[in-house]
Amino acid sequence: MAKVQVLNVAVLDNPSPFGNPFQFEVTFECMEDLPEDLEWKIIYVGSAESEEHGQTLDSVLVGPDPAGRPMFVFQADAPNPALIPESDAVGVTVVLITCTYRGQEFIRIGYYVNNEYTDTELRENPPLKPDYGQLQRNILASNPRVTRFHINWEGCAEKMEDSENVDPAPNAMLPPSCTPGKAPPLGLVPDNSMDCL
Amino acid sequence: MKLLKPSWVNHNGKPIFSVDIHPDGTKFATGGQGEDSGKVVIWNMAPVLREEDEKNENIPKLLCQMDNHLACVNCVRWSNNGLYLASGGDDKLVMVWKRAAFIGPSTVFGSSSKLANVEQWRCVMILRNHTGDVMDVAWSPHDVWLASCSVDNTIAIWNARKFPEIVMTLKGHTGLVKGLTWDPVGKYIASQADDHSLKVWRTMDWQLETNITKPFSECGGTTHVLRLSWSPDGQYLVSAHAMNNSGPTAQIIERDGWKTNMDFVGHRKAVTVVKFNPKIFKKKQKNGSTPKPSCPYCCCAVGSKDRSLSVWLTSLKRPLVVIHDLFDKSIMDITWTLNGLGLLVCSMDGTVAFLDFSQDELGDPLNEEEKNAIHQNIYGKSLAITMGSQLSSTIIENPEMLKYQQEQQRNQNPNGAQASGPENQTPKLTNVLNGESLEDIRKNLLKKQVETRTADGRRRITPLCIAQLDTGGTAAVNSIGMKSNLLLTSASKIEPMKALDSRFTERSKATPGVTSVPLTIGITPLDRVKDSSSVKEPKGKDETSSDSEDKIVVKSMTKRKGEMEGAEVVEKRKKGRPRKDAKIMPISQPFPQTPVSLDKEPSRLTTPVALLKLPTPSIQKSFSTQVSTDGVTYLEVENEVSVVSGSRLSQLKWSREGREWDTLLPSRIIIATGSSDVVAVACEDRTLSVFTACGRRLIPSIMLPAPMSALHCSGHFVMALTASATLSVWDVQKQTALVKNESLNPILSGTDATVSQSFLTRQGVAVVSLSNGKTYCFNSSLETWNLIADKQDSLVQCADFRNCVSSQDALGSMGPLALTQGRNLSAGRLASRLSSMPHHLQQGMTLAFLEKQLASALILLSASEYRHWLLIYARFLVNEGYELRLRELCQDLLGPVHKSSSSSWETTVLGLRKRDLLTEVLPVIGQNLRFQRLFTEYQDQLELLRLK
Repeated sequence: MAKVQVLNVAVLDNPSPFGNPFQFEVTFECMEDLPEDLEWKIIYVGSAESEEHGQTLDSVLVGPDPAGRPMFVFQADAPNPALIPESDAVGVTVVLITCTYRGQEFIRIGYYVNNEYTDTELRENPPLKPDYGQLQRNILASNPRVTRFHINWEGCAEKMEDSENVDPAPNAMLPPSCTPGKAPPLGLVPDNSMDCL
Repeated sequence: MKLLKPSWVNHNGKPIFSVDIHPDGTKFATGGQGEDSGKVVIWNMAPVLREEDEKNENIPKLLCQMDNHLACVNCVRWSNNGLYLASGGDDKLVMVWKRAAFIGPSTVFGSSSKLANVEQWRCVMILRNHTGDVMDVAWSPHDVWLASCSVDNTIAIWNARKFPEIVMTLKGHTGLVKGLTWDPVGKYIASQADDHSLKVWRTMDWQLETNITKPFSECGGTTHVLRLSWSPDGQYLVSAHAMNNSGPTAQIIERDGWKTNMDFVGHRKAVTVVKFNPKIFKKKQKNGSTPKPSCPYCCCAVGSKDRSLSVWLTSLKRPLVVIHDLFDKSIMDITWTLNGLGLLVCSMDGTVAFLDFSQDELGDPLNEEEKNAIHQNIYGKSLAITMGSQLSSTIIENPEMLKYQQEQQRNQNPNGAQASGPENQTPKLTNVLNGESLEDIRKNLLKKQVETRTADGRRRITPLCIAQLDTGGTAAVNSIGMKSNLLLTSASKIEPMKALDSRFTERSKATPGVTSVPLTIGITPLDRVKDSSSVKEPKGKDETSSDSEDKIVVKSMTKRKGEMEGAEVVEKRKKGRPRKDAKIMPISQPFPQTPVSLDKEPSRLTTPVALLKLPTPSIQKSFSTQVSTDGVTYLEVENEVSVVSGSRLSQLKWSREGREWDTLLPSRIIIATGSSDVVAVACEDRTLSVFTACGRRLIPSIMLPAPMSALHCSGHFVMALTASATLSVWDVQKQTALVKNESLNPILSGTDATVSQSFLTRQGVAVVSLSNGKTYCFNSSLETWNLIADKQDSLVQCADFRNCVSSQDALGSMGPLALTQGRNLSAGRLASRLSSMPHHLQQGMTLAFLEKQLASALILLSASEYRHWLLIYARFLVNEGYELRLRELCQDLLGPVHKSSSSSWETTVLGLRKRDLLTEVLPVIGQNLRFQRLFTEYQDQLELLRLK
């Protein structure tokens, strides 16, 4: 049984200029006191084409986590435009929040992010070289995609022997470690990997 | 009958394996497959019951969903008290869920439905034992145990009061165990497995009572579950999948001799689930018709792999109703509402159906009293907890009582307001936030949260805890403690296995209705009709007559057998007891007042002579002793410290936290002891000297008739036990004798026992324990020795009042009485658990024991213990329904309402005001609605007195 349940993630400062830091207010619940910290990461998937464009914006340790409902705001700097292919600067991409415990990822929350120019003229005639100063980032906060993984909460990853355990599947929401084909991002998310009703 | 398929009750098309309605009827749970895990969902019952509630969007349908099980959930069951939900699944786990009190609503984050969990149920216990999928779980009557069965071929019995303790693992099945049911009387648990057997186990010793295989030998193929059920009167056990003449049946097994002569026939495929209606019914009395005595009968629903459901009344030969094609796949589970008129069925196809019967169809359900009467007649005792929801049929007669009952309920639910209805179930999340609203916190969270850097330079955020969880065992324990009022069931209720077997003799006259059931229920193979959907008049009653004759023969045989068993038990008891006592004896009991005096008694007197003699301590050169219980006062004795002009002086030194005094005595000191107020010293020359705590001599040396054997001080009291077996107690402050040279002859003569220990209570009562296990105190007003504890007393061994003890009582039980009885009490209680004594005998013994305790506490002048035992006594009287005694007790506590000079009534007992005691006792009485008139009567009189 998962010892940590994510209850809510509120996307703060949204929509906002592209250069603003990401802010997520995370509320979770610990079933019992956790002896080790949780590690949270924000990963910006710069391009659907290649994993090398995925950039980890930040990772923080959160702890101590007593039994109860802790809450924190996870703020991370905006992605480095230099790492984003120019062709992918504008349009829909994905930002991921992951959480690991003892080196094992047990939840992955994905949000669709739409980057577009606020200026109508720019929108109609986008410059060849993206003008990041004019881009607005809009996170589709109402529709998070949550994937949960069973992990061994008692020990570390090596000692996992639970046969019920499911590895973070490669078809989960665009993990940076896999190279999805060129397809519209929305279609990349198979419904059956989502832990939703 | 109305039939409804609420389409909103689903697991997104995934199979639903189990359904169970909460005992209060306001919600139900389903268990089954989730997306990538097992799933338990709690639903609101109101929208199922009423169409307007279903349409009202403000009434939530889903109350809570839990996807904590890693794999498919096979069974969900509410505890009888409704506080817990147990679920078992393919992940080999049993989880116990409890409603969380202090946490607001939450959603399953990321779920598309966006439905908030209106109620918060969280896992308070995970029970790990099974090595395979858990198929069925069942709470025992009164929630004493939780049983779970598994494909690992075992059944685990968990102690539901002390999770995760396992009471026993029942091994014996050689196939997957797929169904469990408890005998409503609590004597048995039955299990059915894939190994073509149904086994009945005794709860008394957890051994196999019977193994039934014949009806199952033909069973081929498998069913997912084999949920069997026991009838509410305890007389019949009905199996799931059985075969008769190569047709699928549900086998009826009689409690009486485990006979398998009857079955429910008609389903075309294997029976997966049988569920008895919790109510016993009697024929509906038509208005105007002359009421004629009708036989009570039971009602049973049978679900099958053939996707159809049949509902049977044991008074009819044919099913009351058969519904075909209710589902697309096999029926998996059935649950009745507590009122017996509603029925929920779930199926592998992921849907549920609700059947609503009218009383015209099923009959008049017996109220709890009538049901109790049936149980009383069959088993010699009542099974019901006579309170709370179960007493819904009892009318509360006055507002005081109503107020009291409501208060009780509120206490039971710390979040009572939430529980009262789904509409006002929005607990706020602000409780841990020091009055700050969640919104305020969120605004400043980023600025406020503590962020540090770890040694390797990483950011570390300390999260803000916005709510605390009441998870874990402690919470569960607390709630049980809090609920001790609720769980205040009588000895018989919690000890269901001790049912009297007298049913064999009493049965025919006592419950004509129940016995007559076989007459109409029996469908023999000859009589089988494949199409059982039509309801016809019963026919062919003749073949059952021989059956009842058989029964009579068995009856008389079993009766004789029962008597023999009883005799055996008695004999065993007699043999067993002395051994046990021998074990208990050497365990020395705590002896706080003067550890020194008796520990060092290497008895000088070796041969007991006709003249009673008690051992005296030997004289030591020097010794020290701790005085009183404060742990900081010490007495040091040094004999013959100096010789002054021929006489040898001994020194007594007293010290407390740096302060000290010493004094010299002309003779060697044998015993020195003290209390917080006085110090007493006995010397070799048979003198006794008493000093104040500051060292001032209080009285000139007292000359004793014989050397000192034991000396005790307590407060201003000094107790002396001399070697010639006489006892004296003085109040040195008032300078009076409470006990004057009283001989121990009455208690010592005729025995070869000696004094094993003695002490003085704070109230100046001398207590003497003998080596034969008896403890006496000397009552100075009666001038008698009174027996207050006896380790060989069978009453102690057999009294069972555990259920009348509430957790907060533990403190009050400390005192001289507890000191003399010590661990003996728990030993007795343990013994009683194993005994198979008839209930009424035990009841009587417990009563006698409790009354003895009360009297002993009184004579020991131990107020706190008196109060302790008084409350236990009152609870016991309430539970067991001793109205006359209860009335007498109340009358004594209340006293005359109008003052008259002739009254000898004392207003206090041991310094406790009697009317205050009554105020404490009354709520106990109020817990049982049966005594509501008594409650009201004394409540009113107390109120009257208060106004005066």
